[in-house]
Amino acid sequence: MSQSAREEILAKLKAAPKAKPAGRPSMPPLTELSWDPDQLIANFMANLTAQTGVVHRVKDEIDAKAKLAEIAAEEGLTTVIVSTDAVVAPLNLTEWGKEKGIKVLTAKDYTDRDAYKDAVFMEAQAGITGVDYAIAESGTIGLIHDKDQPRLVSVAPITHIAILPVERLRPTYERVTDIVFADKSNLPSQFTFTTGPSMTGDIQGGQFKGMHGPRKLIIILMG
Amino acid sequence: MEIRTEQFVEIAKKELKNARNKQFLSVLPLAITISRPRSMQSFPDPEAANEYGRAVRAEAVAGMPELLEEFEKNALANGAKIVWAKTAEEANAFVLNLAKERGIQYVTKGKSMITEEMGLNDVLQESGIEPFESDLGEFIAQQLHKPPFHIVGPALNIPVEEISDLFIAKADMKEPTTDPVKLGYAARLYLRDKFHHLAMGITGVNMAVAETGSIINVENEGNIRMNKSSPKIQVSIMSLEKVVPTMADAMHMIRLLCRNCTGQKLSAYISIDSGPKKSDEVDGPEELYIIILDNGRSEIYQDIQAREALRCIRCGACLAACPVYCKIGGYPYGWAYSGPMGQVLNPLLLGLEKTQDLYHACTLCGACKSICPAGIDHPKMFLYYRVQEANSDKKAAGGFITNKTAKFFDLWRWGTTRAWRWKMAVKTARPFVNRYAKDGTINKTIKPVEGWFRTRNLPAMARKTFHERWAEINKKVTSDQ
Ligand code: SF4
Repeated sequence: MSQSAREEILAKLKAAPKAKPAGRPSMPPLTELSWDPDQLIANFMANLTAQTGVVHRVKDEIDAKAKLAEIAAEEGLTTVIVSTDAVVAPLNLTEWGKEKGIKVLTAKDYTDRDAYKDAVFMEAQAGITGVDYAIAESGTIGLIHDKDQPRLVSVAPITHIAILPVERLRPTYERVTDIVFADKSNLPSQFTFTTGPSMTGDIQGGQFKGMHGPRKLIIILMG
Repeated sequence: MEIRTEQFVEIAKKELKNARNKQFLSVLPLAITISRPRSMQSFPDPEAANEYGRAVRAEAVAGMPELLEEFEKNALANGAKIVWAKTAEEANAFVLNLAKERGIQYVTKGKSMITEEMGLNDVLQESGIEPFESDLGEFIAQQLHKPPFHIVGPALNIPVEEISDLFIAKADMKEPTTDPVKLGYAARLYLRDKFHHLAMGITGVNMAVAETGSIINVENEGNIRMNKSSPKIQVSIMSLEKVVPTMADAMHMIRLLCRNCTGQKLSAYISIDSGPKKSDEVDGPEELYIIILDNGRSEIYQDIQAREALRCIRCGACLAACPVYCKIGGYPYGWAYSGPMGQVLNPLLLGLEKTQDLYHACTLCGACKSICPAGIDHPKMFLYYRVQEANSDKKAAGGFITNKTAKFFDLWRWGTTRAWRWKMAVKTARPFVNRYAKDGTINKTIKPVEGWFRTRNLPAMARKTFHERWAEINKKVTSDQ
């Protein structure tokens, strides 16, 4: 079917009368673009908090690790799965886990996809990831998924902790997609925006968090 | 999915008596009139943001064939597999064959209106492949065999007691509960196991970006992300009109979509796929199939006016804005698409004959049009369908216009196109009309127009017509002079 269906559909569309749309007005102004660094941070935090995300501000990697330990204690975490992306890798969380008595898994511990899935679905109580870019306009974090940023780490465990270096904050989506989708010959297989925990209002409109993804989204804003 | 658009009046009558739905529907417009404008206000100039979105949709529809080609080229370059399907049957057959070939036992699905339109669930089920809807509302609606009540919240109206019974019977829940949180959690556990061992995930597509060959999904629950991360095979199905020119266009449309849909600045999850997973990646699909489904749209596209319907981005804002929807809910519309957008789309996709009541169930108030971020002029579309109906060959359409109506209008035309006929008719009709007059008002009359008087009264008609009185006055004035 494929080839003929394709030709037929396209031929039919092309044979249809042409309409000339009125043309585009100019893109409406985005005030976000004029925000200074402090405003970026303030708005990012306010927007994310409005979506019930939690943000902690720390000054450097050492403090970030201390904060992580605090969160782990509060949440009673004994097993976590972590990404190996450029933000998280330098923190050497495997070492940190040993110190704190927390089992730290990474996707790279598994050669087999099913075994990795068992770990991320059944074992890990939290997923810890870096953030590639964050967006102030809506309090959103953006993750480029690749071998060091597996998809399920940020969605399968009931808690998602993300570490965001402050210099990765941008005002708007376009400022991020312009970078992420710049090299058309090598696009990330998946890029995700996350704004707050997983939620639903599907039963009688009542809000319920952690429907399929994390019930808690905790951001450690670093720097 | 069973098509019940012809039973509109019947179902609407029943729904009007449904106390629970009524109670729910009475708060819906309130919720939307508060949250939607508030979220739109986060734009410095909301109207300009809307206008820009409407222009993007106009451009996307106008350039659809070229954009689809560009999308296909780039998606192929990303490593996705593109499958074109002319009809729902073709698309269903493709999914079914693929599932059979790969020995798939069950699939999970992200909420997608296009698969409702295709009736994919039934096709899979009949062949022994269990489809699990994984959006909570859709899961409930599916298990109860109900059509979506609302395109965004398909099961919003279902009472918790009913959900509790359902989950005990079908989702391994142990104890009955009326706590929505506990119910949601039971569904989480049940579906989580499905996601964990999933071999094939099926999703719709909110937007397809021509410039990059990417597909975008917008959701709050995370079930679509599961569908696109856990299994080795991902099938994403899009109709022709999902394509937009650039990533920046998609971002702007998503701004509008989320605000109009749930009053959020952004939904919890937006996921953008450009091809399958790379070989060194541990999760994500090894094979990504994108089905581009026509199912009547290229035919709709032939008509420049009808084509406007393809601008819709399925945000759902028009539903809560509609005074008719807010009385009868989503069931009477009888198919995947309900509310004003259903009244616009269903007649085109199913034919005017089957959907007559849908485009007549409208007062043309224009509330939908005024908020639509895609720039659809719903009332204009309804009038367009009504004109086509009126111009259609009555016999060929097979009682398309009821005989009574047709005869009435034939007589009306005969009577109104000559002055003498009109004058005579007006004169002779008076005693008949006044037959039920009482104290100067008429509040009932004979069939078939008795319904008109249920909510209105008419003053009794004067004994003489204006023309007669004018002639008399004139005579008097001239003779006095
Ligand atoms: S017709 Fe307009 S308002 Fe209604 S769902 Fe479609 S885009 Fe939204």
